[in-house]
Order: sequence, then structure tokens, then C-alpha cells
Amino acid sequence: MAHPSQLGFQDAASPVMEELLHFHDHTLMIVFLISTLVLYIIVAMVSTKLTNKYVLDSQEIEIVWTVLPAVILILIALPSLRILYLMDEINDPHLTIKAMGHQWYWSYEYTDYEDLGFDSYMIPTQDLSPGQFRLLETDHRMVVPMESPIRVLVSAEDVLHSWAVPALGIKMDAVPGRLNQTAFITSRPGVYYGQCSEICGRNHSFMPIVVEAVPLEHFENWSSLMLEES
Amino acid sequence: MLSSRAAVRGLQLFTWRSLSTSTCVQEAHGKEVATSSIDCSQPQYNDRLDTPLPDIPYVTEFNTEQSKLKEKEKGPWTQLTKEEKLALYRLSYRQTFAEMKKGSSEWKTVVGGLFFFLGFTGLVIWWQRVFVFGKPPHTLSEEWVAMQTQRMIDMRVNPISGFSSEWDYNTKQWKK
Repeated sequence: MAHPSQLGFQDAASPVMEELLHFHDHTLMIVFLISTLVLYIIVAMVSTKLTNKYVLDSQEIEIVWTVLPAVILILIALPSLRILYLMDEINDPHLTIKAMGHQWYWSYEYTDYEDLGFDSYMIPTQDLSPGQFRLLETDHRMVVPMESPIRVLVSAEDVLHSWAVPALGIKMDAVPGRLNQTAFITSRPGVYYGQCSEICGRNHSFMPIVVEAVPLEHFENWSSLMLEES
Repeated sequence: MLSSRAAVRGLQLFTWRSLSTSTCVQEAHGKEVATSSIDCSQPQYNDRLDTPLPDIPYVTEFNTEQSKLKEKEKGPWTQLTKEEKLALYRLSYRQTFAEMKKGSSEWKTVVGGLFFFLGFTGLVIWWQRVFVFGKPPHTLSEEWVAMQTQRMIDMRVNPISGFSSEWDYNTKQWKK
């Protein structure tokens, strides 16, 4: 989760998110360089004492400021496309989970082996246990085995929603009547929070997502317990 | 509705002409337009630092005295007095470079207006805090934030270069 007043990204919990962090650093540096240059030029033009300021023709600089931006754009596009195709690689998931969006909660179905399904409602603020995070905690978490490729099929039962977990670098729209697929591997165990990312009614801000990545044995214990409960 | 009609009429009578850009076009087409507007098809005088030589002199129609001065200008300039040279300058140019560069006190008005509206906004926000906003959630109290922070440390939230990376788990305190 983010700490209060955090501005930057959360630490990556999946390899794809790590790539996105590095790409963002690279692109933001280019943006800062260009913005600094433009700001310098503006200040220089406004504060100059020169009176003959209107150069009418110069081939050399025209070539430079056409070719250089094209080169910069290529320098941004190549890493971007690389990550785009990386995200679509065949990844042979160990587990497939269906995340269904409802107004206003998520439901998860683990139907690979048994028929496990449960709803995940936000814990209201007045019902929080001491130290829990307001508007982020849910009664049931989506537990996954860590360091295993997981496929998530995202859809919705009523209106548009969006399943997002920033620490994993995932956001996938939940469209009624459509199955959207996304996949991730968690590099480390932990609890990762996200929130519904498509306006869906009055409680759109109150249907969070919690992914808990645990070692395989813990996952197996948890899924047995959940099956017994239901 | 009455007041909006009056407003439109007022605009039409008093301010429209001076705000309108179509007056130049109208004058160019021979229509007599009442307000003082410039004829864009003729060379204009300007005082600008980046175009130091205006297209026409400032004064083009001379009275008797000025005509006499202009005649004297055709002779040797060493016979002109300092006042005459200055008068000739003022006939050709409205402002000197020093006067052009001087600037105005407009910035004081702008900054004053800025602070005034900032202060007004502050008043509005204070009024909202007192009369509109409800109580903040109990999770923002100091005790809850302390429990929450401890829980974030225990859960290893952002342990690589974020939140928990600043906590020393051996000495159980924040890293210096």
C-alpha cells in the first residue's frame, strides 16, 4: 500500500512492475530535461536585451530540432514496446482465478480443482480492527501462492469496474459480458492493496482489492479452510 | 431578463466598439466607425524595443514652428542647439529607449490583487472547516496512526526502497 502523502510508485512486487518503474525513471528523466531546456529558453527570451530577435531562416537548427525529437521519441518507444510485449508473453500459469466485479464488491472464483468462490466486501470504517487501513481492508483476501504465475480473468456482473493492484503493475477493466485476461508473478510474499478503477456508482470508492501472496503450503491450508467454510 | 437586456444594450452602446476587432475591417471597407481605431492598411508608428525603427515618424503634420525646425534640420546639424535636437527627436519618436524600458507599477497591482484573492480563498476555506465539514474519521487519531504504522512495519510494506526500508528491524527504530 502507499504510505500517507506518498508521491511515487509503491515498491514493485512483480517483475513487470519493476520494468515499469525503470521505464518510468527513464521517461521522466527525458521529460525533466526537455522541460528544463524549454524553461531556460523562455527565461532567456523574455529577459534578453537584444533587439534583433527575429531570425528568418536557418537550415541547420531546423534539421536539429526535427531530428532530435524524433530520436528522443524512438528512445522512449523502444523500451515501452519491449514492456508491452513482455506483458503478453506466454506464461503457463499455475492457477487461474476469476475476479468478478459487482456493485459494490469483488468476488473471486478458484475453480481449477475445486469449486471455491467467495465475496470480498470492504470492511466499513466503524468495524475496523485497531491498526487496519481505512477504505482498503476487505473481509476476504484473494490469496495466491507466491512466486507462481497466476492468471486472472476479470469480468463484471453488472456495470463496468476495473481490477487494479498498483504494486503488481496490474489494471484490467471488468466489462460485463467480456473476459479480460491478465497475469502476474509475485516476487516476494506480502499483502498488496488496490481499488476499483472504473466509476461504477455510489460505492465505487469503497470496493477495494486485496491480494495476499503466501508460500504454497499456506495457500493450500487457506483454500482447504475456505472450502470447508462454504 | 430585463437586466440582461439592459446589460446587452449597455454593451452595444458603450463598450462594444472599443472591444470589437471588426472595426478595422469595417473601416477598411469604407464604413465610418465612430471610435478611435487604427487603419491597419497604413504604416503605423510603434515604440518597441525589438523593432527599433518605426515605419513612420511620430508627428507627420507640422505646425509653423515645427516646419521651421524641419527646414533648419536640412542644413548642417552642428548649428542646431541641444533643445532643437531634442525637439526634432521628439517629433520623430514618442518615447526614448530609456522610457520604453522603464516599465510601470502594474506589477504592484497584480501582486496585491493576487494576495487579496489568496486571502479571500483562505477565508472561504476557514469558513468551510468551521461550518461545513464534519468530524474527521477516527483512523486519523494519533493512537490509530501509531498502531497503523506499526502494522505497516510488521507487514513489510514497501520494503525495498520505500516505507519499511527506512526501519531498522534489529534496533527497532527508524534508520538515521
